[in-house]
Amino acid sequence: MIESNGAPKLLSVRGITKAFGTNRVLKSVALDLEQGEILALIGGNGAGKSTLMKIIMGIYQPDGGEITINGKITAMTKPSVALSSGIYMVPQEPMLFPNMTVEENITMGFKESQRELRNRLKNIMEDIGWKFDLGRKASSLSIAEQTLVEILRALLREAKVLILDEPTSALTFDEVESFFRVIEDLRKKGIGIIYITHRLAEVFEIATHVSIMCDGIITLHGPVVDFNREMLVKSLMPPNTEHVESKANECKIMDYEGKKPVFELQNFSGFGFNNISLKVYPGEILGVAGVVGAGRTELVSTIFGRDKVLGGHAVLDGADITGMKTKDILKAGINYVPEDRYLYGIYGISSVGSNMSSASLNDKSLGRFILNRKNEQSLAQTYIDNFRIKVTDQEQLMSSLSGGNQQKVVLGRSLSTKPKLVIMDEPTRGIDAAARGDIYTIIQKLRDEGVAILLVSSDMEEIIELADRAVCVFQGRINAELCKEEITQDKLTSASFGVVTEKEGAV
Amino acid sequence: MKLKKMMGRTRWISSLVFLVALFLIVGSINSSFLTAESIISCLNNSVVYMLLAVGIAFVILCGEIDVSIGATMGLAAAMAGTMAQNGQSLGVMIVYALVLGIAVGVFNGIGVAILGIPSLIFTLGAGGILRGIVYLYSGGRTVENFAGSFTSLNNTTVFSGITWFFTLAFVIVIAVYFILTYTKRGKYFIAVGDNINGAILVGLPAKQTKIVAYIISGCFAAFAGIIFASKYGQVNIVAGSGYEMSAIAACVIGGISLTGGLGDVIGAMIGAVIMASITKILVFVGLSSDYNNTITGVMLITIVVVDALTQRRATESARRKRLAARSAPGASPQPLAEEVAI
Repeated sequence: MIESNGAPKLLSVRGITKAFGTNRVLKSVALDLEQGEILALIGGNGAGKSTLMKIIMGIYQPDGGEITINGKITAMTKPSVALSSGIYMVPQEPMLFPNMTVEENITMGFKESQRELRNRLKNIMEDIGWKFDLGRKASSLSIAEQTLVEILRALLREAKVLILDEPTSALTFDEVESFFRVIEDLRKKGIGIIYITHRLAEVFEIATHVSIMCDGIITLHGPVVDFNREMLVKSLMPPNTEHVESKANECKIMDYEGKKPVFELQNFSGFGFNNISLKVYPGEILGVAGVVGAGRTELVSTIFGRDKVLGGHAVLDGADITGMKTKDILKAGINYVPEDRYLYGIYGISSVGSNMSSASLNDKSLGRFILNRKNEQSLAQTYIDNFRIKVTDQEQLMSSLSGGNQQKVVLGRSLSTKPKLVIMDEPTRGIDAAARGDIYTIIQKLRDEGVAILLVSSDMEEIIELADRAVCVFQGRINAELCKEEITQDKLTSASFGVVTEKEGAV
Repeated sequence: MKLKKMMGRTRWISSLVFLVALFLIVGSINSSFLTAESIISCLNNSVVYMLLAVGIAFVILCGEIDVSIGATMGLAAAMAGTMAQNGQSLGVMIVYALVLGIAVGVFNGIGVAILGIPSLIFTLGAGGILRGIVYLYSGGRTVENFAGSFTSLNNTTVFSGITWFFTLAFVIVIAVYFILTYTKRGKYFIAVGDNINGAILVGLPAKQTKIVAYIISGCFAAFAGIIFASKYGQVNIVAGSGYEMSAIAACVIGGISLTGGLGDVIGAMIGAVIMASITKILVFVGLSSDYNNTITGVMLITIVVVDALTQRRATESARRKRLAARSAPGASPQPLAEEVAI
């Protein structure tokens, strides 16, 4: 943070403030980036990372403060100013034009002639050794390929500052590996990279510097070598959450003697997975590990009736539910907490109370025809109190809650239907540490109440902490089954990445 | 496969096939339809629709809609009629039409692009205002008695019965096609409609692009008004109402996706010819022209539904193919970028 040497910084942000209404999101933020640095920016949801990046990109206007590029104060009035200053942001979800070709996507918005652009693009691709069919339509690309197209866009613009917003969150393991190589190459070329992530492991793997953002200010900054994992975790977490973490570790080992599984898959096949067999017992959390893209999301959404079953059976409480409609599966007692809250999980523009009760609208307790407001409110209030959901009142708009609180509402809603099995797909993805602790407590409480839980997670620590048993999905198949004492980072990692080929410790 | 690919790239080819098939079917019912004379008259009659459709195509490509074009056309037609009564020249009419079109376009553009009002509602309101102005302007009376050199313009032909107006419209469509397909600015409309947030992120002036689209839509509607007045020789107070549906239908039949970002104006032109032919076709197959609106509506909805279903199926099958490849027995990890040879 000290500008001791005379050379101007590549990017320097000073005293940036921003408020949305009365909500002060950024309270005087300072940030520096030099050539060839990879600055990992970590922090909880709502800490202001995205807002800061959008200000640097000229999408939002700051209330105060200044942005300096190579020593020159620049007013980022709109994205085109940021782009011409050599800043490029790859958003979390790549923003391509689906109906255009790869080439059109990359060259859109340039002034030069198409031929000139194509030649430059070809040189760049040769330089970094990528092969792309430029005539392919963007809608046919995988997420990883879309991210690469975004990076090509940045390279063609000769970007000096590259902002990557959780770029690996939708990549498979192999993709992450080669993606890191790409980033390292870019760093060596002198590009400064701001790398937003929620995965601490990535900080130590790829970043040169790290900044932690908390509640609208930078609370920690320095070279990565100065810190270790514990220090980062500690500065990320609000002080009162530590005991939650430690309590979670004292898990009792389940006794399977004489228990009957409440849910069972027999040679279950569908689009994206093959021949899956597993059992879930009441009062058990079965972790489903594996990297993103291994077929886990497809598996659970097929169980839930969102896609076609290609073979095998799903049995809930002795009843065959294979290929039933989602509505009937819900009625049979399975509930699904989806991975993508925004797409499937919440009704953003309605109130917290209505979100909570929306799954129970068919239930008679809320009235036969006219909605019983009183019962609706007491239902919602139960979960707001039990789950410590931070709301002003039940009428607050769902979309105005933080990610963690939204997820709690979604959990509350699915529990209000009293399910036998709850499928949770990445329940804490993109949720900050404090709220994560709360959600873990909720999940454990559920398990203790005898609900069976299928926990899909890419976060291995989450599986270690919560699961009583775990299976690992690799390329659409289960390649390992681990009981409680076998669940270690080591075993999960090797299985997720396909190192283990035989089943271990089957129950 | 090759043909299918070509049809996928240039969506208007399928609408051309539809047009030819339609003419052949009507011809098989009543052979007198398939004469040069009647086909040329279908083309000549399509000019108004063509201008409306090409104009609104810009707005639809941007992913928005403009239902005020019927009223804009009505007002421009009434203005052109009064000017013809006063013996003013076509040039003056064009200038006034241009002013009207820009004013309406800026109004709609600000409402939709800057204030962020849903375009259907905002342009519906704008259309209401414009229709009201037509009433005030003409005092509730039909503008008429301006036959003469102005109305005979509509019948001036270039060669073998093709009118000047059609030729002009045709040239404009081709010019617009090249602007949209081969210029950087032209691609902005498609980019904004395809993914507006992505467009903003790569620095495209998204709001400005939308406003320009509305201005183009307004101007083309106003020009269509001049042609309308010249063609019918009188302009009543509801002139042009319902034309917005035909123009939207023409675009959709021509392969322009209502979700934006997909299609081109040649398709809109072909769609306009189909729209213009419906009245004539009804006569030839022995039905009353009262069916006109119903048939247009049915066609519009049919195509939109079919389009939505095929699009959904295409994305779904692409997704499934990708998933199946991933979990196939012995699947090796997919390389990040790969050359796909078809």
